[in-house]
This record gives sequence, C-alpha cells and structure tokens, in this order.
Amino acid sequence: MLKIIIPTIMLMPLTWLSKKNMIWINTTTYSLLISLISLSLLNQPNNNSLNFSLMFFSDPLSAPLLVLTTWLLPLMLMASQHHLSKEPLIRKKLYITMLAMLQTFLIMTFTTTELISFYILFEATLVPTLIIITRWGNQTERLNAGLYFLFYTLVGSLPLLVALISIQNLTGSLNFLLIQYWNQALPDSWSNIFLWLACMMAFMVKMPLYGLHLWLPKAHVEAPIAGSMVLAAILLKLGGYGMLRITMMLNPQTNFMAYPFLMLSLWGMIMTSSICLRQTDLKSLIAYSSVSHMALVIVAVLIQTPWSYMGATALMIAHGLTSSMLFCLANSNYERTHSRTMILARGLQTLLPLMAAWWLLASLTNLALPPSINLIGELFVVMSSFSWSNITIILMGANITITALYSLYMLITTQRGKYTHHINSIKPSFTRENALMALHMTPLLLLSLNPKIILGFTY
Amino acid sequence: MNMLSSLMLASLSVLTLPIMSSILNTHKNSTYPHHVKNIISYAFITSLIPTMMFIHSGQETIISNWHWMTIQTLKLSLSFKLDYFSMIFVPVALFVTWSIMEFSLWYMHSDPYITRFFKYLLTFLITMMILVTANNLFQLFIGWEGVGIMSFLLIGWWYGRTDANTAALQAILYNRIGDIGFIMAMAWFLFNANTWDLQQIFMLDPNLTNLPLLGLLLAATGKSAQFGLHPWLPSAMEGPTPVSALLHSSTMVVAGVFLLIRFHPLMENNKTIQSLTLCLGAITTLFTAICALTQNDIKKIIAFSTSSQLGLMIVTIGINQPYLAFLHICTHAFFKAMLFMCSGSIIHSLNDEQDIRKMGGLFNAMPFTTTSLIIGSLALTGMPFLTGFYSKDLIIETANTSYTNAWALLMTLIATSLTAVYSTRIIFFALLGQPRFLPLTTINENNPFLINSIKRLLIGSIFAGFFISNNIYPTTIPEMTMPIYMKLTALTVTILGFTLALELSLITQNLKLEHPTNMFKFSNLLGYYPTIMHRLPPLASLSMSQKSASLLLDSIWLENILPKSISQFQMKTSILISTQKGQIKLYFLSFLITLTLSMLLFNLHE
Repeated sequence: MLKIIIPTIMLMPLTWLSKKNMIWINTTTYSLLISLISLSLLNQPNNNSLNFSLMFFSDPLSAPLLVLTTWLLPLMLMASQHHLSKEPLIRKKLYITMLAMLQTFLIMTFTTTELISFYILFEATLVPTLIIITRWGNQTERLNAGLYFLFYTLVGSLPLLVALISIQNLTGSLNFLLIQYWNQALPDSWSNIFLWLACMMAFMVKMPLYGLHLWLPKAHVEAPIAGSMVLAAILLKLGGYGMLRITMMLNPQTNFMAYPFLMLSLWGMIMTSSICLRQTDLKSLIAYSSVSHMALVIVAVLIQTPWSYMGATALMIAHGLTSSMLFCLANSNYERTHSRTMILARGLQTLLPLMAAWWLLASLTNLALPPSINLIGELFVVMSSFSWSNITIILMGANITITALYSLYMLITTQRGKYTHHINSIKPSFTRENALMALHMTPLLLLSLNPKIILGFTY
Repeated sequence: MNMLSSLMLASLSVLTLPIMSSILNTHKNSTYPHHVKNIISYAFITSLIPTMMFIHSGQETIISNWHWMTIQTLKLSLSFKLDYFSMIFVPVALFVTWSIMEFSLWYMHSDPYITRFFKYLLTFLITMMILVTANNLFQLFIGWEGVGIMSFLLIGWWYGRTDANTAALQAILYNRIGDIGFIMAMAWFLFNANTWDLQQIFMLDPNLTNLPLLGLLLAATGKSAQFGLHPWLPSAMEGPTPVSALLHSSTMVVAGVFLLIRFHPLMENNKTIQSLTLCLGAITTLFTAICALTQNDIKKIIAFSTSSQLGLMIVTIGINQPYLAFLHICTHAFFKAMLFMCSGSIIHSLNDEQDIRKMGGLFNAMPFTTTSLIIGSLALTGMPFLTGFYSKDLIIETANTSYTNAWALLMTLIATSLTAVYSTRIIFFALLGQPRFLPLTTINENNPFLINSIKRLLIGSIFAGFFISNNIYPTTIPEMTMPIYMKLTALTVTILGFTLALELSLITQNLKLEHPTNMFKFSNLLGYYPTIMHRLPPLASLSMSQKSASLLLDSIWLENILPKSISQFQMKTSILISTQKGQIKLYFLSFLITLTLSMLLFNLHE
C-alpha cells in the first residue's frame, strides 16, 4: 500500500519544488501515474482481501473507491487551473498541497484495517476540505458553509468515537478483518440501540441522510470546483463505505433499527428530487441530486442483502464519476457566464456544440440510461427494495421519473433554447476541459462493459 | 442453418459501421448521409436472405448467447432471439428506414447539421433493433430506453424552439412513467423466476402474474401512447417530419405493442389482464380517433390516427391474437410512414404550412403526392386488397366472432368508421377543391429522393400486406366461417364513414362556422385531457416542491431545528451564564473605587 501512499505524500514536495510554469503539469502527470498504479488493486484474485500489512488492506469494496480517489486527483487539478490562474504562486502551491493531503488521508481511510484509525483519518479529511472550502470559495457564504460542513460532520461522528472505545473494551479488537469472523449477535438492549445509533449516525450525516443534509448543498455550492468534485465524488462515499463496513458488526439491531431511516431515505429521495425540479442554481441542483442518489445508497445498505450491497457499491462509483463530471460542466459554464443561474446560460449548444455533447452524456448517465453503471446500481437497489417490500416500487418509480425530469430540465435549460446576447463573446471550450470530461466519461463507459469489478464484496 | 443467425447479425452489425466511421472520421461530411442511406439499404437486402430462409425452413426460434456476467444466481448474457417476430420485423423496419433516410436527404437538405441528423436516426435504428431482437429483459430495456432517449433528441431537433423542447421533455416524462412498470416487471421476474431470459420465464410459467403483467401493460401504455399516457405522441409532431415518419408511426411507438406480443405466452392465460388490455385499447382507439376528427394540423391528424391504430393493435392483443397484432404492426409501418412522408412533401412545398384549411387543390399541383396520399389513406382504412386490409379486416372479423366484451367491440367498430372520416377529411381539404394556399409558392415534387422514397413505400402499401399475411402462420386458429353480415361489418362501417364524411364536408364547406358545439370542443381540445393533466398535476407537484419541500422543510424547518436553534441556544446560554457583560465603565469604576479604597485603607493603617 505504501507504493501508493508514499508517492502521494511526495506530491507535496513536488509541488513546492516545481518551477512556476510546471506546477500544473508536474502534479497532474504525477498523480495520473499514481492512479495508474492503483488500478492493479482492482484485480482481486482471492475471495478475501489483499492484505498488505497489519495496517492496510484492500478488498473488492475498498478497491474501486480507492481507484476512484486516485483517479480524481488529476481531474481536480485539471479542473482548477482556470479558477486559480489569478492567484499568486504560493497560494496555488498551497492549494495543490491541500488536495494532495486530502488524497493521502482518503487513501489511508479506504485501506486501513483498524476502525479507530479509520475514525481518525475520517476526521482528518475534514481539515483540508474545510480549508479548501473556506479559503478558495467564491462568496462570503463560504464561511457559513464551512461551519455547517464542519459541525454537522463533527457532531455526527463524535458519538462514533465513544462507541468505538466501548466496542474496543467489549471485544478487544477493532480490526475489520477480524470483525468479519466475529459473528456474535449484539444482545437486545437499550444501550445497544444507542450503540447502533452512534455507529451509524456519523456515516448517515456524511452520506447525507435526508434531514441531516443541509450542509451538503451549502458546501457544494460554495466550494471551489475541486472541492465540489471531491465532496460529491468521494467524501460522500466515505459515509457509504463506513456504513457497509460497520453494519457487519451491528446485527441484529439493524433489522428493526433500519425502519425509520429507510422511511426517511425513501421520503427524502422524493423530496430532494422534487427540490431539484425547482432549482435555478445549477450547482445547488447537482448537490440536491447527490442527496437523492445517496438516499438510494442508504436504502440499499440498510436492506442488507447481497444484491443491495452490490447496488450500493456500484451506485457509489457511478455517482462519483457522474456528479463530479456534472460539477465540472457547471464550472465550465460558470467560468464563461460568471453565474450559476441556469437561465443565464441557455442556448449554449449553439456556441459550444462539443460541450453540449458532454452535457448530454452526463445528463443521460445521471438519469441512469442503460447500460451505464448508474443503471446497474439503481436497478440493483430497486430490485432489492422491491423484494424487501413491494410498495417501495411506487416511491422508487416516482424517483426515477423525477430524476429523469430534472436531469433533462437541466440539460434543456442550459443547452437548448435561444441563446442570450450576453454570451455572444464567450471563450470556446479548451482542450483541457474536453479532456477533463472525456476522462470522466471514459471510465463510466468502460465500466459498463465489465461492471463486476465495482460490485463490491458480495459479488 | 447456422448461416441464418450469422447473416442476421451481419445485417445488424453493418448498421454500426457508419457510427464507427464517424469516430474515425474517414468520410467526407457531404457524402455521409448518402453513405448512411446506402448502408441501410445493404442491411435491408442482407436481412432479406435469413428472413426468407427462416420462412422457408419453418424454424421456430434461434437464440444466441454471449455471456456477460453472472450475479449470484442470475446469469446475464448478451442474447439475441431470432424468432418469427424479430425475423419479420427487422426487414420491414430496415425497408421503412431506408425510404425515410432517402426522404430526409430531400427534406433536411438545407439543414447545416444533416450529418448529425443521420447519425441520430441511425442510432435510433440500432437501439430499435436491439429492442426487437433482445432475448432478455435487460437487453430489451437497453433498447427500450435507447429509443426513448433518441426520440427525445430527435423531437428536440430544432432546439431553439421552446415547443420542441417541451414536447421532447413531455415524451420522456410519459415514457418514464411507463418505465416504472417495466422496472417493476423486471424486479418481479427476478424475484419470482430468478431470470430475465424470456424463454426461461415462459418455461417456468410463474403463477399470479397479475403484477408483472400490469407493469408491462403500463410500460406498453407509455411507449405506445395508450389512453392516459397518450398526449406525448401528438406533441411529438414538433420534430422534423422524417422523425415523425420513423419514430412516431412505424417503429418506436409500436415497441409497447411488441413488448406485449413478446410476453403473450404469459398473457394468454391471464383473463384479467387480457380484458384490461382490450378495454384500454378500445378506449384509446376511439378517443384518439375522436380527437383526430377536428384537428386542422395535417401532422396532428396523422399522429392521432397512429395512436388510434396503436389502440387497435392493443385491442388485438386483448382478444388473444398476437400474430394479428404483429401483422398490423408490419402493414401499418408501410402506409403510415408513407402518409407522413406525403404530408412532409406537402408541408415542405407549401413553405412549412401545416394547416389543412390553407391547402386545397393540390391534386393538380402535386399529382404524385396526391396519388400516394390517397392510396395510403385507403390502405389505412382497410380498402380491400391494399395492405391495410389484410390485417385490419382480419382483426375486426376476429373481434366480431370471438366471445369478447361487446362494449369494447362497439368502440373499436366506431373507431374504424371514424378512421375513414378523418382520412376523407385530409383528402378533401388538402387535395380537392380550390387552392387556398399563397399563390406564389413554388411547388415542386420532382426530386428523385422524394419520388423514389415514396414510391418504394407506395409499392409496399399495396403489396406488403399480401406477402406478409401469406407467410404468417396463425398459431391461434382464426374463425373460418361466419355470417355474411359479420364478414362485411368492417367494410360497411368504413364505407359508411367515407360517405358520411364526404357528404358532411360538401354540405358544410361553404357555411359559416357557427358557435362551436360542446362535442366539437371536446374533440378539438383533445377531450380536455392535456388542459387538465398538463396543468393541475404539474402545478400541484411543482408548487409542492417549491413551497413544502424547498421552502418549508429545507429552508425553514430543517434549518431552524438543528443549526439555527442550536446556535441560538448557545448564544442565549452564554449570555446568561457569563459574568462578563461588557460594561467597561462600571468595571473601571469599581476598579478605581477598590484601588482608592485600598490606598486609603493602607494609608490609614499606618
């Protein structure tokens, strides 16, 4: 595992020692190389996991998320170039350092074997993200957004620390690999119910569960482009990853504790999708669409069947790439029209036809067009929730319909229609931007050829 | 006989060549549309060979499997089913598409993005082929959604127009509602049969199939524009005419019917679903025929007539005759595509005039289009020995002689008669009488692309029914003998419709239009359906999402319950508990007092 972690740490000296005109190229190339190394983890030859040391391991659940993390760093660097072009050199370097630091923490979070070190790293990712949001966001509301982001996540996860210490006392170990074989049912008591809540709430807030999601639209909207990308693509998935890992040791409490959260997710999924229908702010729309998609993941994890686990994992990866791409597209609009308001960007297809093609592809994957992996994920979740309870198909179906509607609403408002006069003089799209979109789209398309590498450990 | 499937797959894979070559950029842009058209004609000719071999050898089904992945106990494979339905439908669809491509060379010649248009059409055709040849539900779903999205793109072709965009979105919305049913059926089959392969599902023959079949019926309702989810089809006429001819008459909209035909082995034992299907089809066919009566937009009339014919196909499935429904799909494809192309020819010649009240007298100016339009209309109404006769007459006869719902039968008969009425209306207003269009329009229909493409379909509209119905083998044996009045019912109601419409048109054409009656309003405003359904539910749901979901819950309640109330609480308590009140003056004063006092005291002490 060190062959990925140490190079990532070395990204920081690389940034600081690079010449002025080379910082972007050096870091992007180097991080792309790191992501290529990490691809080898996708090959999971045995059923268990790849144990690298006492500290780190990777299994079919963490490997795709890890690859997604490393894959996203070069993309974030590519996306931020324009946004930082007016900043002094030292701040650029600081920014890249923050991203590299975040990346290091994320890699270690996804591969660690110990729950307590998972917890520490999970909290550690907050620091660089907070700095990125509050330092490089565009408006004054970014401070408020940073507060929301920090406090929601912190308050949610502090009980987890207590719970972890108590589990450590109880079992003597917090090792993921050992927990798998520790099939002892928790006794049915009030304290164990609170244990369940403490363990799950940290991740529910991170996902986010409907009702605890307020930090997400704010943080996504106010964050700079790389912040939005990494938030939508990976940080939300930390929640899903944690839930998938920790539900293993919370049986049988999950069977009855899941009901309120399932209901909340099913309800919230419809609510957030319908909020999307009325959004005028492009980034906020994408953020709410993330909440709605993540609600599906929560449902899938709480149902606890092999199919639903597969669906949750696939959906997390698919949504990571799709929403990140949508944020990039929104950013490329923002850099041209200087506004996130959708109606001000209408008719862009006339001026930027290739960008319109990317918009189309991104919207189509967002609405889960077959045979994209988004569909595989959603389909599995719908199947498992249907077998859990037949009536959920009504809510799921409504959500599918609304998702299609707001995705295409977004497409139509930004790309179709008559173009407005103030966008007459916009810049054409750069090769950098097109490459960025292609690097998002290619994995999505290629994964649909062989989705089984992202189906997680129940495949 | 391995040749058969490989030849068929060859003809399908030929279709992907232009898409590939567009990525490699090996062609010149100006010839690309011709290239696409030629490729489709090659594919058509290639596909004829396996079809003929198939019919000749009398085989049942060929299924090819290519393993994709196995999930737990479910095996997913890329699997093509070449049976009677797909074997016949593929050449028909290719033939119609070939003509339509040639037609679009003429119709879209001034469009700067004609290359992209052809790519879209071709992609649509490929997804349609996937749909038709799919052997498992997942693959079928790929094609199913693919045609939906391509229809979105093609309806919204002129993306600068608001109407085109709304129509495209509307099509997706209605289709998506249908998709809920499809996904539910998929989930049910997975749950109860543990397979998505069609033949396995039929072999297992699960019990209590009401739920999945209802789902499939909902899916078919969405895709084939049956009553309830029908308004998208007439709205889709915002797209270019070739799109209407290809998607919204002959291929995409029959996908729903095709789905029900595929699932017929499950349906034939389920009486509840069958009568539901029958009634749904009957309502659709009558309702849309009524709507067609008073429309003035030539494309809208044809669109409603398509909807009505789709209703007839659903009726046919409802009376347990999937083969007849399939026959009607095939014959309908020829003349309906041709009707659209004729209307396209008229519209293009009259400078984009679609109102039939502003046409008239075109039989002099456009003799060829007139001929084709009349033959198409006659074929549509089921004139003996034209294409439509072979399927339509048979359907009505079978419905007549079967133990069926008399109400549904009556509806269907009235709709059949109305078919003749609106066909007459088009002919009367557009072709006969005095010209009412602007005098300076240059009418020219002598473009070979136009003539050839219509001519090909014209021949199809005359002979195709004969050929296809000769090669169909009825699995459910139709009634061989019947009283003469039953035999003649279909013909009688059609002739009745013709004469009535002609007389009425002749009588009323010079009268001043009086204050419209309620019946006229009902028909002209499409039964008030769009007025109600396109206003109330969107208003309700959108204001719900704005007011309760966004404002009330997100911005007020969730914001106040957690973050704001906590910060308020903290602020209040810190103010209450803290001894520090910020009263600097007093502090300093007290400080001063103590200082002075202590000084004094110390001093006094001495």
